[in-house]
Parts: sequence; C-alpha cells; structure tokens
Amino acid sequence: MSSHRSDILKWFVIGLFVVLGLRLFHIQIIDRSYRDAAENNVLRYEVQHPPRGEIYDRNGEFLAQSVASYDLMVVPRNIPKTGFDTVALARIAGVSVEQLAKSLRSAKSYSSSRASVVVRQMTTEAKLLFDEGNFDGFYTLFRTQRSYPRKIAGNLLGYIGQVSDKIIDRNPYYSRGDYIGYSGIESAYEELLRGEKGEKVSVVDVRGTIKGSYQEGHYDKAPVAGTPITTTIDAPLQEFAERLMKGKVGSVIAIEPSTGEILVMVSSPTYDPDDLMGRDRGNNYVKMLENPRQPLFNRAVMSSYPPGSTFKLVNGLIGLQEGVVTASRRYPCENGYKVGRGVKCHSHRSPLNLKEATANSCNAYFCYVFRDILDNPSRGGICNGGYENWAKYVESFGFGKKLGSDFASERGGFVPTADFYDDYYPKWNSLTVISMAIGQGELGCSPLQMANLAATIANRGYYYIPHVVKHIEGRDSLDSRFYERHYTMVESKHYDPIIDGMWGTVHREIGTAGVAYVKGLDICGKTGTAQNPHGKDHSTFLAFAPKEDPQIAISVYVENGGFGSSVAAPIASLLIEQYINGKVERPELVEYIEKMEIAYPNYEKRKR
Amino acid sequence: MRSVNDKLGWTRIDWKTILVFVLLVFIGWLNIYAAVYNEALTGGFALSSRYGMQLLWIGISAIVAIVILLIDDIYYHLLAYPFYGLMLVVLVLTLFVGKEVNGAKSWLALGPVAIQPAEFMKLATALALARFMSEYNFSLHNPKGVVGVGALLLVPILVILMQNDTGSAMVYCSFLVVLYREGLNSWVYYAIFLIVGLFVGSFLLSPTALLIALIVLFVVSQLLSNRNPKESAIYVAGSGLLSLVIYAISWFAGWGMDYHGSLLTASLVMLIPALLYAYRHKLSTIYLFALMYGGANLFLGAVDYVFNNILLLHQRKRILDLLGLESDLRGWGYNVHQSKIAIGSGGFSGKGFLEGTQTKYDFIPEQSTDFIFCTVGEEWGFLGAVVVLTLFAVLIIRLMKMGERQQEPFRRVYCYGVAGVFLFHVIINIGMTIGLMPVIGIPLPMFSYGGSSLLAFTVLFFIAVRLDSQNSAIGATYKPY
Repeated sequence: MSSHRSDILKWFVIGLFVVLGLRLFHIQIIDRSYRDAAENNVLRYEVQHPPRGEIYDRNGEFLAQSVASYDLMVVPRNIPKTGFDTVALARIAGVSVEQLAKSLRSAKSYSSSRASVVVRQMTTEAKLLFDEGNFDGFYTLFRTQRSYPRKIAGNLLGYIGQVSDKIIDRNPYYSRGDYIGYSGIESAYEELLRGEKGEKVSVVDVRGTIKGSYQEGHYDKAPVAGTPITTTIDAPLQEFAERLMKGKVGSVIAIEPSTGEILVMVSSPTYDPDDLMGRDRGNNYVKMLENPRQPLFNRAVMSSYPPGSTFKLVNGLIGLQEGVVTASRRYPCENGYKVGRGVKCHSHRSPLNLKEATANSCNAYFCYVFRDILDNPSRGGICNGGYENWAKYVESFGFGKKLGSDFASERGGFVPTADFYDDYYPKWNSLTVISMAIGQGELGCSPLQMANLAATIANRGYYYIPHVVKHIEGRDSLDSRFYERHYTMVESKHYDPIIDGMWGTVHREIGTAGVAYVKGLDICGKTGTAQNPHGKDHSTFLAFAPKEDPQIAISVYVENGGFGSSVAAPIASLLIEQYINGKVERPELVEYIEKMEIAYPNYEKRKR
Repeated sequence: MRSVNDKLGWTRIDWKTILVFVLLVFIGWLNIYAAVYNEALTGGFALSSRYGMQLLWIGISAIVAIVILLIDDIYYHLLAYPFYGLMLVVLVLTLFVGKEVNGAKSWLALGPVAIQPAEFMKLATALALARFMSEYNFSLHNPKGVVGVGALLLVPILVILMQNDTGSAMVYCSFLVVLYREGLNSWVYYAIFLIVGLFVGSFLLSPTALLIALIVLFVVSQLLSNRNPKESAIYVAGSGLLSLVIYAISWFAGWGMDYHGSLLTASLVMLIPALLYAYRHKLSTIYLFALMYGGANLFLGAVDYVFNNILLLHQRKRILDLLGLESDLRGWGYNVHQSKIAIGSGGFSGKGFLEGTQTKYDFIPEQSTDFIFCTVGEEWGFLGAVVVLTLFAVLIIRLMKMGERQQEPFRRVYCYGVAGVFLFHVIINIGMTIGLMPVIGIPLPMFSYGGSSLLAFTVLFFIAVRLDSQNSAIGATYKPY
C-alpha cells in the first residue's frame, strides 16, 4: 500500500513539474506575444490633471481662474550618459543651475526609474521652448495653476496647496503632488472644483521613449474638468470694502436679506491670493503666519466678538414679544442704570421711549427691559426658566451655534447657559448678568452672525442661512438648507418699532450715527461700541437699507476702532451707497476712511 | 578523517542532495543580485543592499546547517512538542506585538532583524506531526488519529489566518502530501480534486456543459466499478429524454426553465430508479456516487451564490483574472501580466545575466521576493528555467526517497513533510509567476529575498538530512546513493 502510494506521489510530483515546464515552453517559445510586448515595451501610466473649476462673482466676473502651467518631470535613468545642457535647461525653466542640480539629485535619490518633478509651474512659453530643445529623460506635465484677476477675497476664496501625506493616507483620490483646497471656498467645494483626474496609458520602450498609446487608448481615462462655481460675491463691492478696511483689523459682511446671499465678506487684514500661488508661496505663507495680525485667520466666520450695543436690538425685540415692554414705554436714565453695580450711560435727555432708546443707544433702558425679560414671573423668574427662555430667543436669531453656512471653518460664538452661571456663581440673579443687556459680558458672536441679525431684522423676523455660492454649473439648485426660512421667536409686527429706532439712529437728531446718512437711501442702523479687555473699544455698526424692501444688510466690525459711529458706521454707509447707487458721492469720507490707520499695540505685543 | 566522520555520523550524509540544495541557494542568490542590480549603482559590492544582506543570511544559514548536522537526532524527536508549543506562543505573541507588512501582521522585530514566525512554525509543525504520527499504535484509520493530526495542523492555521497572512496559512495544505503517504483515505483526495475541478470548471464551462461532464464522470466511474453498461445506458438515455420533455413542457407552460435546469431535474429524477436498482442488486457504490453527484451540484450552486453575492469586487476580479476570463492590467492582473511578459521575453536561452530589461526596471513589484522567478525566466530563458525546475524536482523526489528508506516512522514522516512544504512553495510560486496559480504571497525556497524564509528552509532541509544520516543500519535496507 505504502510503496504503491509513494510511487503515485513521485509521479504526481513529476507531473506537476512537467505542467510547469510545458507552460514555460508555451510562453517562452511558442507564444511570441510576450516577447513583442517586452520589445515594445512597457506601459507607462501618466496622470492627466484636470483644470480646477473656476470661481466667478455674482455677475460672472472671474474671482479665481485656472491658467495652464507645466511641471518639468524627469526619469533620471533616461538622461543620456553623455549629459545634457544644464545651463540651457535651467534658463528655460527659469531656475538657477544650482537649483536644477539640487532637484536632480533629489530625484535620483527618490528613484532612478520613476518620474519626479524637477521644476514646478513653468509657463506655457517655457514649455514651448523646452519642447524645441531636445532633453532626453525630461518631459512636461500639464497642470493648472490658480490666478486671481482682482487680487481680492483671499480668505473668502481660500488657498490651495499640495496635499499632505496625512490627507493621502485618508483619501485614496489624492496622490503626491496633487493640489487640494485648504480653506475658504476652495476647501468647502473641493470635490466639485477639483474635477476628476484622468489617466493615459502609453507604451514606452526600455529607453523611456513613448511609442504611442496602449491599445488605441482603450484603457485611457480622460480627465474631467472641475465644476465652475458662481459665488454670491459682488466683486467691485468686495474690492471697495477691502480698500476701506485697509489699516484696520476687523471684518465686513454684507448679505442680501431676501436670499441670504453673501455680497461681501472681508476679513481684514486680507492678502493677495496670488501670493499663495507660484514659487514664492512658501516664503509668503511663512510671512503671513508670522504676521501678528494673522491675515490667514478668517475673522468673518471664525472670531467671536462681544456684539456690544447692536445686541440691544435683540433684547428689545424679545421684550416686545414677551410683553414686558411696549413701544411707548419710557424709562428714565440719569447717566446710567443705578441698580446694583450699575451700568453707565452717556448723557442724553430722559426719559426715552423704545424707539428713542434704540436710536440713542441708551444703556439704562435696555437694562430695564433685559431684567424684566429674565425676571418675568409668568416665565417663572430667572432661576426657573426665565433665563433659558431668553437664551432660546437669542438662539432663534442664529446666535450661540453655527449657522450652517458653506464655510467649514465657521464657528458658533457663545451664548451662556444657565448651567454655565450655576457653575460660576453659588447664587446669581438678573443683576449678575446685566452686562448682556447691552451685548457685553460673556456673549460672543461672529461677524457673520451679526450680519445675519441685520438681515433678519431687514426681513422682519426670518433669515436664510448666509451662503457664498449662488450657482454650481450643471445643477439646478443648491443644498436645500439654503432655501429654508428660519423664523425667530419674535413675531413680525414687533420689528417695526425697533426698525423705526434703527432708522432714527441715522436720521434723527438724537441718533448715534448721523454720519451714516445718505439722502434717499433710508438706511437703518445700530451702532455698537464694544468694551473689551484687549484695549480700546471695538467699533461696530449693523445696518440695512432701504427701510422698505431692503436690498442689503451689513455688519462692520473694526477692532479697537472706538465708537461705532467713528469707523464702522461710515464704512457701512459707504458700502450701502456704493451698492444701491452704484457710486459714492462722498470722496472726502472715502479718503478719510482709507487713510485711517488704527494702532494695534496688543497684536504687536504678541510678536516674539 | 573517516573516524571523525563516523563519530559524528557523517559518513552516511546524503551529500548529493546537499549539493542540489547548495546549487539552488547559489543560483537563487545570483538572481537576487540580478534583480536588484542597477546601472546607477555601480559602486561595487554593498553589504547593505539586498544581495549583500542575502549573502549574510546565506552565511548564517550555513553555520546553522553545520550546527544541525552536529546535533544528535534524538533531540529533534525529544524537542518536537516543546518546540511546537514555543513557536505557537511566539505566533500568538506576534498577533499582539507584531509589525504589519502589506496588511499582514506577521513580522516580529528582534532588534535589527525582523523575522516571520510563520516560516518557523512550518518546521515546528513538521516535527510535531512526525512525532505524533510515529507514536505507537497511531493510525490514520481511526478517528483519534485523524482528530489529533487535524488539531496539530488547524491551530497554527487559525493563528496565521488571524494575522491576515493567507499565503502562509495555505502552505499547510502541503501536509496533505505526507498524510497521503501515511494512508489517509483516498476519498479525501478525490473530493479535493473534484472540488477544485468543479470550481475552475464552473467558471470555464457553461453550466450545461459542466452538468453533462459531471453526469458522464459519475456514470463512467460507476460503470467501471459495477460493469453494468446496459443499466448505465438506460440512465443516460432516460435522463436525456426526460430533460427534453421537461424543457418542452416548461416552454409551453411558460415557466422559463432553461435547459440546464431541465437536465438537472431529469438527472435527479432518474436517480430514483437508479437507487432502487442499487438497492435490489446491493451495489453500495451507486449510493456514494449519487451522493457525490448531488453534492457536486449543491457545491456549484453555492459557488455561484458566493461568487455573486458574497465575494467583493476585487476578489471576483482576482478569480476571473486567474482563469483568464477578464483582465485588469492596472490592478491585480498587473503583476502577473508583467511577470509573464518578463518570463516570456526570455525565449529559449534568455537575455543573459544582468541583461534583463523587464525585471531590472522596476516593472515588476516584489521582484526580488515573490516574483524572483521572473529574473530566472528572463535572463536564463527556457533553458535556465528548466534547469531550476529540474533541480527542484530532483530535490523534492530525493527528499521523498529519503523518507522511504527510513526505518522509523518519525524520520519518514518528517522527510515527507519537508518534501511537501518544498513542493507546495515551488509549484504555487512558479505557477503564480506564469499565470497558472493564484497570486499567493509565498516565497520561492532558496530564491526569494528574505532571511526568515532562507533560514527556515535550511533548517527544514538539514534536519531531514541529519535524521537520514543517523538512520539505523539495522535491517540494512539502507544503501548509500
């Protein structure tokens, strides 16, 4: 039995080896196709980069364009042994001979048979010159590069850069040398803008010369260009706003109330987006990182400021809805609110009604209203739901949470909860939190939220989530969340007295922002002078116009700018005038604002 | 000299087999040198390169081989179980502290070197199996023996599978060789061949053709064992006619049953008279064949279901690619495609040492490890490839002969175990490079770059040689070859 089996095993082994031998005989001697394939020889897979989708402003003007550029590639082992004209190549590529030699060395150490980039982003002219010269081992790869015709909206558009290894690990679409949007629209709409990479399979011989496409391009994949995106931005207005914000740190946001479309979004200081493209990108980037005023920080959506007196509008509206105040209710003000630690006020005539108090920004008036909201016995008083009731109202205005705009980096600001105070104080009452009556204290909100408040009031009680994309090519609509009305908990009818007050701010003797007046525009506004621990007061202004059928709502926030009326109000007024009238008839004011430089000792201090 | 050899028991060492082994190691190293050779790196000999490292491992292996030849063979017997246990512990340890390479957590870092414990587990399993199967009153014909052998094999397989190292786990199939030699029921092997055949057939043939092939296969087998041509013909004719009737009825009735379904139904219905006939004439093999026929059809259905509903796309592609039904030159098929081009372009006599173009220029990934045979095929051609194949075949057959001439089962089982491991590695690895076998990442013995593998094969082989050299001369069937 066993010796029988050992014979079977022996023949089994021999049989297996004979099968292998026959197969080898077939592929090595009979079938010539493998030899031909080897002759011809091997396939090269070349990535074909699509042009990145263009970004337009609301009127179809380019904000970001894609222009052709070429990467110079090398396969080191294909460089002829006899060498090549390094001087000529360096001249064509626009780099020094030393730089060229250095990148060649690093390419060799990466791989002698795989392609590496030698020089990035050559111009089309350089590419044509290169094609005339005969540089074996080198070839060019079509890429696109961003260019920004107006050189505006740096933070809004965001920047692109080469993918990091971390991203490559996470997302298989990307490979080394690809570009990806890192911030702003470039990042938020990356998947649309980037398009789809293609691939070309060529037959290459052993010397690396392309013999033609493989199987007539059967395995090729054409790149799909990135989807163009039309933004809601008004480019001329954006540029004007950036000019006005020069020399100041802060933010401007303008929204079309009837749609929630963002017309202007400035985070100042801004930067020229072209600086983050091309060969100087690295240096410029480091410079921006080191700039103490942090130009790469998108204040418009990421910062959290005390809203200051602009927040009185919210408290006034809540008071009306809750019935703790009426439009005609008057409160006295003797240079402030005298209960408890007290809240100071500027001197003005007294007593005032709600409209007058809004126009005049009376601190005392809103302290009365705020305490009545919190302590309202029908809501159980401050400790038994009164505070939560107020906070719920505030959140219905879009505060204390992310609005859900198309900015991934958006932050939600801060509206403290009752628990927050419970943790802080063993016992607290409406006087403990009185500073929130005038938008101070723990409250924090982003400029986007403040602009959204302006739009909400302009709409008499609802807002659309502010967004920056108007149209995506090939799609009928945007994400449905941008078409929903978000109603506040305050009924529409209560907005009228507050809006009258805002109108008074600009138009009446008693108002705090006469400077914002423009004939015929019916601007409604509210100033804010926000105290802060970092130095001089922040100047802020919130406005919309015209009073009926508003076309623009705006929020201007200038850090350490002093009174709301001194910087923020004129900027808002000029932008409204420009937007509605298409021109500005106050050149001296423009010049005055443009030339204004605000000192920021606290930022400069941070510089090590 | 002779006396020293006698003392060590070296007089009976099978030097010829060692020579074959050493030749393979040498040729293997030359090919690693060629595979990593690159014109750009003409800086002479570098120890840090792969061929330098491999030379270092060859040196280490040589020393280990000599040590093995010095150890008395009683220790291999004694230490078989403890070694098996120890390696199992190391294997489990690797699950937790191991290093992940290519998705398999199968490497253990020991200072500057990393070893693959699974390589040495094979050795431990071969020894333990030899020990177990040489126990007094062990038999593969009783359940206790089969269960014991199954446990010895399955435990390491499970741990290795948990490391996600499918290739190394499949190597345990190689022990089917020694189990066959030791008398495992032949039906197991028929079943294996049938399953593999059905699996491949289910992709290459249409369902109807495969069904007809199955019917013919079983009827003919049945005919050979029972010599009943008349009844067999009745069964075939009956099935054929009935299938046509069913097909016609289903067509008129609009059931939409295809011919495959009709034939399957007919052949199953016809089993009823066949079984009655078997019962009347007491022909028990017919039961068995009927059972296998039913099982085969169930299996085909299951393959279909698993393939279409359970396997993932890339797994399906792998299978289709292997069977030559679909080619994905970018994905998995790329390696094999390039490998076949490289070997095919070698022609009759090859391109010459260091002259390979395909293998030199990074076209084949894993070229100095799993795809090292490409270099042989391209640079040495059909001639060189056949020489290497022959050397391997000689080595394996000599190992089997070595087993046959042993007096004690322990030695015989071990030698056959080693022969099986070599056989499996060589056939799967070379078969993979020429597109005959699926891509399973296992090394070609003595050729693939890698210290663990070389050392493990050296130890495996030299223990066999050592056991053989101390084969007791009593009984005197031993002849020095």
